[in-house]
Amino acid sequence: MSESDTSPKIQTTIETSDEESKSAPPNVRDTVIETRDLDVYYGDEQALDGVSMEINEHDVTALIGPSGCGKSTFLRCINRMNDMIEVCRVEGDVEFGGKNVYDDDVDPVALRRKIGIVFQKPNPFPKSIRENVAYGLKIQGFEGDVDERVEESLKRAALWDEVKDQLGSSGLDLSGGQQQRLCIARAIAPDPEVILMDEPTSALDPVAASKIEDLIDDLAEEYTVIIVTHNMQQAARISDRTAVFLTGGRLVEYDDTTKIFEDPEEQRVEDYITGKFG
Amino acid sequence: MATEETTSDQLGQSAELRLQKLKGQVFEVALVAATLVGIVSLLVLFAQISNDAFQPGTASSTWFLVYFGTLVAPTAAFTLYARRRPAVRTANALAFAAVFGGLLLSFVTYAVVDALSPYDVFIYAFFASLPPALVLAYDRTTDKQTYTGPLLPVSILVGIGVAALVDGPISGLVGIAAEWIMYFGLVTVPAALLVAWRTASRRGRRTGAVAGGVVAAGALAVAVASISLGTNASLLVVLYSAFAVPTGYVIWRSVKTNPEGRIGVAGPFIILGGVLLGASIVEQFAIENPDSYLTPTLLLESWDGLTASNAGVYPQIVGSIIIVGFMAVLAFPVGIGAAIYLEEYAPDAGLRGRLATLLEVNISNLAGVPSVVYGLLGLALFRRTLGFGTGIVVSAAGTLGLLILPIVIVSTQEALRSVPDDLRQGSYGMGASRWQTLREVVLPEAIPGTLTGTILALARAIGETAPLVIIAVATTKYSPPSGLFSSATALPLQIFAASANAKPEFRHGVVPAAAVVLLILMLLMNATAIVIRNKYGRTN
Repeated sequence: MSESDTSPKIQTTIETSDEESKSAPPNVRDTVIETRDLDVYYGDEQALDGVSMEINEHDVTALIGPSGCGKSTFLRCINRMNDMIEVCRVEGDVEFGGKNVYDDDVDPVALRRKIGIVFQKPNPFPKSIRENVAYGLKIQGFEGDVDERVEESLKRAALWDEVKDQLGSSGLDLSGGQQQRLCIARAIAPDPEVILMDEPTSALDPVAASKIEDLIDDLAEEYTVIIVTHNMQQAARISDRTAVFLTGGRLVEYDDTTKIFEDPEEQRVEDYITGKFG
Repeated sequence: MATEETTSDQLGQSAELRLQKLKGQVFEVALVAATLVGIVSLLVLFAQISNDAFQPGTASSTWFLVYFGTLVAPTAAFTLYARRRPAVRTANALAFAAVFGGLLLSFVTYAVVDALSPYDVFIYAFFASLPPALVLAYDRTTDKQTYTGPLLPVSILVGIGVAALVDGPISGLVGIAAEWIMYFGLVTVPAALLVAWRTASRRGRRTGAVAGGVVAAGALAVAVASISLGTNASLLVVLYSAFAVPTGYVIWRSVKTNPEGRIGVAGPFIILGGVLLGASIVEQFAIENPDSYLTPTLLLESWDGLTASNAGVYPQIVGSIIIVGFMAVLAFPVGIGAAIYLEEYAPDAGLRGRLATLLEVNISNLAGVPSVVYGLLGLALFRRTLGFGTGIVVSAAGTLGLLILPIVIVSTQEALRSVPDDLRQGSYGMGASRWQTLREVVLPEAIPGTLTGTILALARAIGETAPLVIIAVATTKYSPPSGLFSSATALPLQIFAASANAKPEFRHGVVPAAAVVLLILMLLMNATAIVIRNKYGRTN
């Protein structure tokens, strides 16, 4: 745990609060991702300022905060999607399984095979449903039974029953919510360790969104899920831990979700959560 | 407010609103007028050209009645019947594409291969397809991660190099075989493989092999029959493989998968049959034909500058097709490659980024450079610097290739730019490399736009005259070019030259007829572009 000024000092309470967390097993969880003093700049503009946090394995970690606070930037740093933006500069460490992903010997392509991502807007490829789910397997040279994997992934994404008779039709023919679940199936098919979700329900209607929320709950049994959301209730419902980013790209508070929503340390966080600002 | 107004007063049309409305209406009328001026003047131009070319005024009214009865009335009846039956229209469209596409493919293939010598074309095709076939076979037998992908184009180039080396020594040996055997290898073998592959993917390998064998055996039967009857075996083998086989396949599939629309496959045959029936009736009863200049003589004979009725542009048509075909081979890989680099790989910032931006700006400018200037460039490059002969096919194709290169690059860039960035992000997020993203996601999405742009560039190139004049392509030539280094000839050049002929029947008959041929060539290319684009559009 780093002692930087923005990092909350409540880490000591994690272990005790874990026991009350409904879906979490009582044992202490391993850290899978750890960032230290992460600064990100887009050109001259600073998007993240000294973010240090540890993300536990098999937790659902929610990142909340007002628009432009850097939560999506943080998410995209984890699997180096920011590499695609030429003006983006990253300083500090992002460790995944003890290895800094910004080391020179880390291939971002290999990293993204371990850390999948689901975007805000459903973006299935203009291919058949089956090809969409099998895409990751294909590019990674998977040599097992592809059809079995496709079925398993679609089942895990709670989409199998709706599409099992039309695997050959285009992924674009599905409804928005189905498309997003297809994207989730696509992300989990190659069996990554971590799934990043960038506001996965904000483009969906409430019914479709609640299906995705249920799904995230199930996914956490096997994967570590980090989700950016604008929806405070959603963060409260589905996450084990919540990180609150406020303007200027600072991580203001990071704690168990119940603690954040019931008794935040910082006044600004309370104001944000209760809707007084943001 | 000064005066009280009721709501209903406010809803009425005030003078100001009336004025606004009037302005809008005037603007709309102006727009309609602008559209009409363009379209009507084009229509008048086309009508004049076709009137000169066909001379319909010279035909007897019986002639019109015969063709109305055999061609127009049945076609109109069929169109009315199909109008409200989408299944029939689907089958009709497929049959149309197969019949007329097949006929076009057959005649173009035969004319081009015949001009370039079937033996040489066969040797080159054989050596160019053998190495990639071996590479693919190796890829099938090994499970390991191999690098066969980049090997394919390299192996084709190697094969062409080998063919160039051995062409001289072995052409004598290959020359012993009959000509139709070359066409069998060039056209029937690919057709049979295609049928075998399509059938195998649906019905299993054994059926596929049988289907391919049946196609090949049919071609042999056609060849034997035509030899015993003393007709042109080569042309019949080509027609069988590139016209009869695809037509039969499409009709069989239509009847099988689309039973309610199966009557639609009759569409193209109603037209073909109408033309043939009409011609035979006209022949039989000696009905007076119009003094059309668009005759078989024009299409199949070579030039005669003295008698208009003997003048033909067959060498020019084949020459134009060869030039444009070879130009496509040269310009498309380069242009599409450049566009992919500029759009997908070139960085936005830094020295290389600035260089790329500079390139892009200049490419857009090059698209507007007058074609005469490209002719000068071609002359300097191919004649002066490289020392090629005067007006040969390679120079003509290279010059036109440079001319359309900016168009190809810009349109391909547009197509790549229209692929949503979401898809790229999605692919990268799955752990795909840049090349995998490009091949699996971006390029398939960009194919329709790319094809549309590039084929329109072809249509532009086929009509270009000025650069060919500058690089001294022969105007009148009595045989099509016999190779890439033989002297070229092109249809627009012949039209240009004939327009200065002293005899009025050339200026007002042969020239418009040849222009109609050129327009038809261009329209066929555009139609191909549309068909391909729609096909890709549908699968996505």
